[in-house]
Amino acid sequence: MQGFSDGGADLGQLQTTMRNIEVACTSIQMHINPAAAEATILSLSQSPQPYMACRFILENSQVPNARFQAAAAIRDAAIREWSSLSTEERRSLISFCLCFVMQHASSPEGYVLAKVSSVAAQLMKRGWLDFTEAEKETFFYQVNQAILGAHGIDVQFIGVNFLESLVSEFSPSTSSAMGLPREFHEQCRTSLELNYLKMFYCWARDAALSVTNKIIEPNAVIPEVKVCTAALRLMLQILNWEFRNDTTSMKAGIDVFSAGVRHDNGSSKRSECVLVQPGPAWFDVLISSGHVSWLLGLYAALRQKFSREEPYFLLWIDPPDVVSKAIEEGKSESEMLDGCRALLSIATATTPFVFDQLLKAIRPCGTLSLLSTLMCEVVKVLMTNNTDEETWSWEARDILLDTWTILLVPTDGSGGDALLPPEGKHAAANLFSMIVESELKVASASVTNDDGDSDYLQASISAMDERLSSYALIARAAIDVTIPLLTRLFSERFARLHQGRGIIDPTETLEELYSLLLITGHVLADEGEGETPLVPTAIKTHFADIAEAEKHPVVVLSGSIIRFAEQSMDPEVRATVFSPRLMEAVIWFLARWSHTYLMPLEETNCLSNDYQQHHSVNSKKALLSFFGEHNQGQVVLDIIVRISVMTLVSYPGEKDLQGLTCHHLLHTLVRRKTICYQLVSLESWRNLANAFTNEKSLFLLSSANQRSLAQTLVLSASGLRNSETANQYVKGLMAHMTTYLVELSNRSDLKSVAHQPDIIMSVSCLLERLRGAASAAGPRRQRAMYEIGISVMNPVLHLLEVYKDESAVVYLLLKFIVDWVDGQISYLESRETAAVIDFCMRLLQLYSSHNIGKISISLSSTLLSEAKTEKYKDLRALLQLLSSLCSKDLVDFSSDSVEAAGINISQVVFFGLHIVTPLISLELLKYPKLCHDYFSLLSHILEVYPETLAQLNSEAFVHIIGTLDFGLHHQDLEVVDMCLGALKALAAYNYREICAGKTGLVSAGLGNLPEGIFSRFLRSLLQLLLFEDYSPDLVSAAADALLPLILCEQGLYQKLGNELIERQTNPALKSRLANALHSLTSSNHLSSRLDRVNYQRFRKNLNSFLNWQNKRNGWFRFLWSFLNFSMHLEALLLVV
Amino acid sequence: MSEEDHHFESKADAGASKTFPQQAGTVRKNGYIVIKGRPCKVVEVSTSKTGKHGHAKCHFVGIDIFTGKKVEDIVPSSHNCDIPHVNRTDYQLIDISEDGFVSLLTESGNTKDDLRLPTDDVLLTQIKSGFAEGKDLIVTVMSAMGEEQICALKDIGPK
Repeated sequence: MQGFSDGGADLGQLQTTMRNIEVACTSIQMHINPAAAEATILSLSQSPQPYMACRFILENSQVPNARFQAAAAIRDAAIREWSSLSTEERRSLISFCLCFVMQHASSPEGYVLAKVSSVAAQLMKRGWLDFTEAEKETFFYQVNQAILGAHGIDVQFIGVNFLESLVSEFSPSTSSAMGLPREFHEQCRTSLELNYLKMFYCWARDAALSVTNKIIEPNAVIPEVKVCTAALRLMLQILNWEFRNDTTSMKAGIDVFSAGVRHDNGSSKRSECVLVQPGPAWFDVLISSGHVSWLLGLYAALRQKFSREEPYFLLWIDPPDVVSKAIEEGKSESEMLDGCRALLSIATATTPFVFDQLLKAIRPCGTLSLLSTLMCEVVKVLMTNNTDEETWSWEARDILLDTWTILLVPTDGSGGDALLPPEGKHAAANLFSMIVESELKVASASVTNDDGDSDYLQASISAMDERLSSYALIARAAIDVTIPLLTRLFSERFARLHQGRGIIDPTETLEELYSLLLITGHVLADEGEGETPLVPTAIKTHFADIAEAEKHPVVVLSGSIIRFAEQSMDPEVRATVFSPRLMEAVIWFLARWSHTYLMPLEETNCLSNDYQQHHSVNSKKALLSFFGEHNQGQVVLDIIVRISVMTLVSYPGEKDLQGLTCHHLLHTLVRRKTICYQLVSLESWRNLANAFTNEKSLFLLSSANQRSLAQTLVLSASGLRNSETANQYVKGLMAHMTTYLVELSNRSDLKSVAHQPDIIMSVSCLLERLRGAASAAGPRRQRAMYEIGISVMNPVLHLLEVYKDESAVVYLLLKFIVDWVDGQISYLESRETAAVIDFCMRLLQLYSSHNIGKISISLSSTLLSEAKTEKYKDLRALLQLLSSLCSKDLVDFSSDSVEAAGINISQVVFFGLHIVTPLISLELLKYPKLCHDYFSLLSHILEVYPETLAQLNSEAFVHIIGTLDFGLHHQDLEVVDMCLGALKALAAYNYREICAGKTGLVSAGLGNLPEGIFSRFLRSLLQLLLFEDYSPDLVSAAADALLPLILCEQGLYQKLGNELIERQTNPALKSRLANALHSLTSSNHLSSRLDRVNYQRFRKNLNSFLNWQNKRNGWFRFLWSFLNFSMHLEALLLVV
Repeated sequence: MSEEDHHFESKADAGASKTFPQQAGTVRKNGYIVIKGRPCKVVEVSTSKTGKHGHAKCHFVGIDIFTGKKVEDIVPSSHNCDIPHVNRTDYQLIDISEDGFVSLLTESGNTKDDLRLPTDDVLLTQIKSGFAEGKDLIVTVMSAMGEEQICALKDIGPK
C-alpha cells in the first residue's frame, strides 16, 4: 500500500491521493471491495505527515465522505505525531480547521463540518497545556466573533457548535482517547472549568438572546432557530458539567432544562433531573441575570407560536386544580411537569424564606402555599386513579417531593431544621394531612387488590424510605399540627378495631395502621445509620408551652402506640388483631423509637445544662426524661422485652417477624449501656434468658435468629457490674449447650443416632448459639467464652468426624471455631495459645483427611454444584481461621509473648496452609472471595515472614512458588498486586541476606527447579511488563518487586537485556533500546540499596522506560516470543 | 436401581424411623426434607405470606437425593414436615462384578454384595475407571427411606 506522505508533494500527487481516497469512499458506500477501500483510507491516516494531502482533499474534493475521512486522518495523524510537530504546525492545523468550518459554514454537509469542528476541538485539547494564554485567546477571539453573529447566522451556529465539541472533549465522560495519562485529561478539565466554562456559557446565552426576538416573531420557520437550539444545547451541556472545583457549595442544584438528558446513569433520583453543582461563583450568571425569566418567556412564546394551543401563562401550574383537571381531561401534562421542575430548580437556589417570597409581588399568597396546593392536587389525582402504572401524577409527585426535601433539608450541617414562615407551616400541615389521607387510602385499597404474595416490611420500607423521609420532613415543618393529627388518626383506628372486633373484617384497618406506623416512625425518629440518633430538632424545639411531660404531644403519641402494642400480649386480641405483618410494623416502630427516645443519652446532658435559659428547655427536658431511666423508661423497656419474647414464642415459623425482633429490636436495645444496666435487672429479661436455655420453643427459631439471640443475650452482660459477674452470667447462659455437646459426643451409640434429623437439628441449633455467643466475646466476657470453647474442643473434633458427610453441620462447626478463635486469640496467654493452635491444627488435619481426594457422585448437576459451593465455603472458613491465628503476632493483649512459649506463628500458619492448599483446586479459585482470601493470606505471611519460606520442605516450597506464579497472571488486579507485594518482600529479604554474607533463599528447597526462584520470577515479571497486557495501576507494585529481583539476579538481568538488544536488527533502535535499558537501572541516581528513596527512583525509571517501550511494543513482542522460545528449549534440554 | 429390591429396606434402617417430623420454618437450605414421598436435599427456601395479614408459608425447592429430580413444595411454616433420616456409611470397594453389583467390605470385616452400581453412564465410568486404575477406593453409601446409593468416592492411595 502506498503511503500518502507530504514529502515534496506536488499538485499531481495530491490530486492522485484525493482521487484514491474519493474512490475508496465511494466504493465503501457501494460495498465494492470494502476491505481494500478501508485499507486505503487507513493508510492515509497512518502515513507520516499527511496534513497537506488532507487539507487538499478538504478544500477541493467534491465527495463529502472523502472530506470527512480527510478530517479524521488529520486528527489521527496529529494526535499520533503531536510531540514531534512544531508549535507553528500545531497552531496552523487548528486554525486551518477553524477557518475551514467558518468559511464553509453554509455548506449543506453538516456532518463534515461537525467532524472538522470536533477535530479542531480535539487538537485544541491535545495542545491545551502547551499553548500560551495568548495563543488560546487568539482562537477564542475568532470563535467569539462568530458566536456574536458578526459573520451571519451560519457562522454563529458553527461557533456554538465548536464550543459544544470542545466542552464535550473536556468532560471526562465524553472525551476521546488520546493515549495520554488520566492526569492530562484531569488538568484540562480543571483548567476549562475554572477559566472558560462560565465565559462559554455567557456567550451561548448572548447568542440565544440575540436571536430570540426574531424567533418569537410569528413568521414562518427561520434559520435563527438553529442557532438558538444549538446555544440552548450548549448551555444545557455546560450545566451538566460535573463541577468539581468547588468545595464551598453545599447546596446541590437541580437542572431544570434537562429532563430526559441523563448522563449519570445509575443514579436513583426519583425525578428525572440531573444534578448540577456549579457553585456560588455561578450565582450571578445563573440566577441574578434574569435570563430565567427570558427563558420562560421564550418557552411560552414558542408554545404559542408552534402549537397554537392556549398557553398556560406565568406558570403552567397555576391555578393547580384547573391544571390538574385539564390534564386529566386529556391535555398534555408536559407543561405542568416542566412547571414542577421549575419550582424544584428555584428551590435549589433559594432558602425557604426567599422561595416563599418569590410570588408575593404578584399574588396574595406565597410560593410555599402554591407548592402545597399544587401537590395536594397531584396527591388527589393519585388517590382517585390508583394504578400501578407510572402516570404523570407519579412523576409530578416525585418532583414536588424533591422540591420539599430540598427546601426542608437542613443546609448548615448543624442538624437544625429549616424554619418556614407561618404561612408555609400552614401549607406544610395541609399537605401532610393530605398525604397521610392518601397513603391510608392506598393502604386500605391494597387489601382488595392483593395478589397472594405481599411485600415484606423491609422491602416496603426501603422502597418507600426516601418518600417516607420526605414526608417526615414535611411533617416536622409543622410539627405542632402533625403530631396531634397522627395521634388522632391512630386513636380512631384503635377504636375501630376495638368496636368491630369479631364483627367486621379488620384487614383494611390493619393495613392503615401498618402505614401509619411506618409514617410515624419516620416523623418521630431518624434512622441511626450506625450512630445514635438524636431527637429531631423540630421536636426538641417546639411545644415550648408544654411543661407537663404527660401532655407532651410526642409522649401522648408514643404512649398510645406502646399501649396498643402491649395489647398483643393478650392471646385473644393477638389472634384477631395482631397479624404477623402488623406485628412486624410494631416491632420495627419500637426499635426505631427506642433507639431515640428510650433512656436517651441526651437526658443527662440536658439535665446538667441548667444555665440554658431558652424557653423551650423545659419541654425538651420533660420529653427527654419522660422515657428516661428514672421515670417511665424501665416500665416501657419491660413492655418491649415482653413483647419481644412473645413474638419469638407465639408466632411459630414467622421468620421475618422474629428476624426483626432479634436483629433489629433486641440488638438496638443491647447497643446502649444505659439500657443494658436496666435489662439485666429486669424480670422479663431473665425470663428470656431462661427460656433461651430451657425452652424447646426457642429451638425453633431459624438459624440466623438463633445466633443473633445468643449474641444479644451475651452482649447484655455488659450491663453487669464487674467482669466476674459478667463471666458468671455468660457461663450460666451457655452451660446447657456445652453439657449437651459433651454428653452427645461421649455417647457410645453416637454414630447411629447422630444422623437422626432431630439430633442434627439440636446440634445445629446449639452450634449456631455458640457461634453467636463467640462473636459477642468482649474483654469482659472473654474468660467465660474461652472456657466454653475449651470444654467443647474434643466434642467438636468428634462431631467433625461423625458428621463428615453432613456438610451443613461441618460448616457450622468450622464457623464456630473461626469466630471463637477470632474473638479469643488476642487475649490468650502463651500456654493457652499453644493449646488453641494445637487444636486448630488437629481440626485442619481432620478436615483434610476427610476431604482430600474425595469425589462427590450425583445424578443432579445442582447437587454437584452445591457440593462445590459447600467446599468453597468450608475452605474460606479455614483460611479465615489461619488469618486469625496470624493476627496473634500483630495484636496481642496477653502478659507474655508467644515466642516465650516456643510458638512460631509463621510456621504454624505455613503448616496450616500446607494442609489446606491441596484442597484448593484451580476450579475452586474461581470463587473470587476464596481466591482473594487465599492470596491475601499467602502474601501476608510471605511479606511478614519471608525467612520461614527457607524452612519449608521442597514440596511445600514448590507449591507456594507455583501459586505465586499463578497469582501473577491472574486477571484480578488485587491478586496480582498482592503477589507482587509478596515477591518484593521475598526478593528484598534474599538480597539483604546475601549482602549480609548469608545464603539467602536461593539454596532453600530448590528441589527440581531448573533455575533459582528469583531468576524465574525476574523472567516472568519482565515478560509481564514488556509484552503482556496489564493495568497501569500495577506499574508501581511491579517496580517495587522488580528492583530487588534485579539486584538479586544481576547476572541474569544483564544477560536478558543483552539478548534483547542483540536481537534488534535496526541499529538505531538497537542503540535506543540499549540506552533505555541502561537508564532504567542507572538514571535518577539509582543505587543498590533497598530503601524508600531508591524504590521511588526505580518507580520513576520504570515508568519512563515503559512509556518509551510502549511505542515499540509490536516489534518487541515478536522478539520476545522468539527469545522465550529459545529459552524454553534450553530449559527443556536441561530437564531432559 | 435398588428401589425395587425390597429386602434392603429392613436391612438398611434396622429399627430406626425412616422420617422425623420437624417444623417447616426450621428446615434450612442444605438440609433434607421429604417432598412427595421422596427424600430430598433442600436447595432453596423462601417464605411468603398467605394473604396480606396471613401467616408465613415456606416454599421449598428440593433435589431428590437418589434420582436428582427437582421437586417443590409449599408448607405453612408453623406446620410440621417430614425429614428423612439420611445415613452414610463408608465401605472399602473390593470388586465390581459383571452383573452390575459391587462387593464392599464392611467395618466388621464382612462383605456386602447387594448394592447395585448406578445405571447412569457418567457415574458408572467414574467408579469403574477409578477401580480399574488399581486405586484403593472407599465408597460412601447414602441410605434413606429404604433406598441406598453410592454418593462419593475417595481415593486412599494405590492398592
